[in-house]
Amino acid sequence: MKTILKAQGLNKTYHLGSFPRTIKVRALNDINLTIESDKPVIISLVGESGSGKTTLAKVILRLVQPSSGAVTVAGHTVAGKGTRPSRTEFLRTVQPIFQNPFEAFSQYRTVDAYLLETATRVARLRKDEAVQAVEEALAAVGMQYKDVRGKYPNQFSGGELQRASVARALIPRPQLIVADEPVSMIDASRRMIIINLFLALKQEFQTSFLYITHDLATAYYISDYIAVMNKGRIVEFGDAKQVLSRPQHEYTQLLLDSIPRLDYRWVDRRNAAPGKY
Amino acid sequence: MKLAQYVVQRFIGYLLVLFIGITITFFLPRLMPGDPINNYISQVQARAGQSLSAEATQQLRDSLAELYGLQGDIFTQYRNYLARVVRLDFGPSFTYYPEPVSNILLDAMPWTAGLLITTTLLSWLIGNSIGLIAGYFNKRRWATVLEVVGIILYPIPYYILALVVILLFAYWIALFPLSPTFLPGPMTWNKAVSIIYNSFLPALTLILAGFGWNVLAMKALAVATKEDAYVQFARLKGTTDRTRMTNYVFRNAMLPQITALVLSLGFIFNGAIQTEVIFSYPGIGMTMRAAAGAGDYNLLYGAIILTIFSVATAALILDLIYPLFDPRIRLGG
Repeated sequence: MKTILKAQGLNKTYHLGSFPRTIKVRALNDINLTIESDKPVIISLVGESGSGKTTLAKVILRLVQPSSGAVTVAGHTVAGKGTRPSRTEFLRTVQPIFQNPFEAFSQYRTVDAYLLETATRVARLRKDEAVQAVEEALAAVGMQYKDVRGKYPNQFSGGELQRASVARALIPRPQLIVADEPVSMIDASRRMIIINLFLALKQEFQTSFLYITHDLATAYYISDYIAVMNKGRIVEFGDAKQVLSRPQHEYTQLLLDSIPRLDYRWVDRRNAAPGKY
Repeated sequence: MKLAQYVVQRFIGYLLVLFIGITITFFLPRLMPGDPINNYISQVQARAGQSLSAEATQQLRDSLAELYGLQGDIFTQYRNYLARVVRLDFGPSFTYYPEPVSNILLDAMPWTAGLLITTTLLSWLIGNSIGLIAGYFNKRRWATVLEVVGIILYPIPYYILALVVILLFAYWIALFPLSPTFLPGPMTWNKAVSIIYNSFLPALTLILAGFGWNVLAMKALAVATKEDAYVQFARLKGTTDRTRMTNYVFRNAMLPQITALVLSLGFIFNGAIQTEVIFSYPGIGMTMRAAAGAGDYNLLYGAIILTIFSVATAALILDLIYPLFDPRIRLGG
């Protein structure tokens, strides 16, 4: 069994406001998570806004320094006090996909420059190899290099640009791709293209995904494991089908109940269940 | 095709701005009370006493009207004026008669242009580099020191800064001359060195006065830009701090700074009047001041039209080079 993702005693406290009225926000509260598998997996991280999902993603991506604890991805310790993994080694292990591709790509750089730079800087490929790697990665997401070449982000649709950023993340063949709300900015009719892409790439590239979302339907559809977060804690974790069909924690039940359904009348929950959340 | 349309549109706008500016400079002085020819003749009469006959006065009046382009009704004058502006013929200077105004301006122009283009570019470069570093590393203590340089220099009034520099480097430590003396004759190595040596103090004050603002502006832009998602994203692509600072933060923050640079280059033919007067530097600013003092209307006209022309041209150049810096204009979208 390989360890895909392991978080040990992870804490992150933000101090908001200035000195006399500082507010402490515990974005991550003692997160412990171990995912072991021989095959690549898709792990969904669900929870409401402000539950700490994105902070966890940022800690894994080294964009935020945790207050304490450590994260290990595929045997490499990537985050924690005092860890300084080599840059290329870290970037070959973990790659990101951001929520809004139009913010992730600079407006003044062509998209293919991003792909080529990832190939040369992270995967350490020569120029000609890099072009080939870019072509392969784009083919994997159903795009062609000649359609991307020389184009700036504003010349793509949101879905296309997000697929290009998936292709970019694939180039160094990382162990884990952290996708923070990758489909929330995309047209509902196009979401399934990206979602199905994750399923296909898991097999083809042997890459695991950490899929962060608040959309339980897609999480149920693609994930092997689901972690439910609330107020900085992981309240429930386990096999995806099991968690969502037989939720143990009341917060998971609440999340499931919050999905609007066609055959139910809407009831005002504040009156129905007073005092709950 | 789209680009051609863009260029043509900007060019038409440019000609329109020039036309309006030149027209205003023609009509504005004519709305003022008083007649320059009558003023002049009354001065002559006061000096000549009664020895000037009525015919001679009329003759003088006619030849002055011809010389100043004041014959005929206002529309004939306007037409003649436009034709002269197109030929760059602003008539003779009054104070340096019969030296044509265009010659005087041409003589002064290289001095002003050389001094101001160099200093504007240098202060832009130095100021933006310091501002970029201070903004990008804004969490480090040493970067705050850099910003303080801008905060201290920016609010000092120019004339005080210039006097302090003169006191320091021309009086206490007499490294540089108090006012410049330039070798006459053709350009030689020695002459070039003496020009640089003599222009050093005015250039230094202009750079010191100019770059504080650039530091503050660029720092504010860089701090805001470096928090954008694409800078963090670029970090996960394996870029170094330096690459992110130049190719991502600076690349995205520089557009307003380029606008400011090109527009300030457009204003240089106003001459740095303060600099040129304080350092007795023989540029357009000095010429304009002398012209204003002596009532040399033609010379003033010439200098004002030169300014209109250079500001409008700078704006045109800015519009034309913008597509190079911003692909969104170049490619639409």
